[in-house]
Amino acid sequence: MNQSDKDRYARQIRLPAIGESGQQSILDATALIIGVGGLGSPAAMYLAAGGIGKLVLCDYDVVESSNLQRQIIHADDAVGDDKVESGKRTLTALNPDCQVETIGYQLEGSELVEAVRAADIVLDCSDNFPTRFEVNRACVDTATPLVSGAAIRLEGQIMNYQPAAGSACYQCLYPRAFGAEESCELEGVLGPVVGVIGTMQAVQTLLLLAGQGEEMVNRLLLFDALAMQWQGVTLPKNPNCPACGGDRQAR
Amino acid sequence: MNVNIELYASLMKYLPPGKHRFRREIRVDDGITLNQLIRQYHISDAEAHLVLVNGHFVNCGEPRDQRVLVEGDTVSIWPPVAGG
Repeated sequence: MNQSDKDRYARQIRLPAIGESGQQSILDATALIIGVGGLGSPAAMYLAAGGIGKLVLCDYDVVESSNLQRQIIHADDAVGDDKVESGKRTLTALNPDCQVETIGYQLEGSELVEAVRAADIVLDCSDNFPTRFEVNRACVDTATPLVSGAAIRLEGQIMNYQPAAGSACYQCLYPRAFGAEESCELEGVLGPVVGVIGTMQAVQTLLLLAGQGEEMVNRLLLFDALAMQWQGVTLPKNPNCPACGGDRQAR
Repeated sequence: MNVNIELYASLMKYLPPGKHRFRREIRVDDGITLNQLIRQYHISDAEAHLVLVNGHFVNCGEPRDQRVLVEGDTVSIWPPVAGG
């Protein structure tokens, strides 16, 4: 870490939970972000600003005007551009020291597994169960930490998977797709609600990279904006989980 | 006996009228199970994803039919969320 880094990240280095060694871990880290929408926007921006070494952005979509109310990484003049390229522009402007790699299509199968393996941590900022299950499975298979956020309407959830701690995984919480697929397009979403959850993903990612994951093992946070309630829940590992549990070999 | 029910997020619509937005104290029959309570409020299995009793997660795999509630229990229910 050079003097310029020490100056730039001084306020978080000052935190005992981060310190110089934690900041160095952040500077050395690569995070894979699946989805550069409402969750991925604040998550990527805070990670870049916080000094993460490299971000890999993955999204196949282009920016639409209806995204701009909540996907704050994309500016008005980005409408029609690939989300990953628009995101890269914003992140590079925020912090030129952050290396940004873009993948403008949906990662699947072995390519997803390799991308996950190459990352120190994965942020699931996607918007559907099939993608979430596949990302979770790749993280379980490669023992890669995962920070998973979801939000719609006025509600959100956040949890993380810490393989080194033997924690519950995403499919311990969602063994299968529950109910009909809901989309923000049909259900609506308040911009700052996805912002809160995406920002919490950045909080957890920075703390995990700095070695502070202990208090977050098997914790699920639930947020209801209308009730103005947070509920923290202990999420036990599910022995019958289809991704990490006992019946895995039977699949 | 009396128990408390909390229905969060999109499940709030299932609560009967009352002054609190998401919580009610309700009177139920002694020996009522978790599933009977959930059905009493017409909440589908798909919607009743996360069920907590007194803040403790009742795993989807656990038989909610067999979980008998007792006086003063607080049941909290959250719907599934996958958007982003």
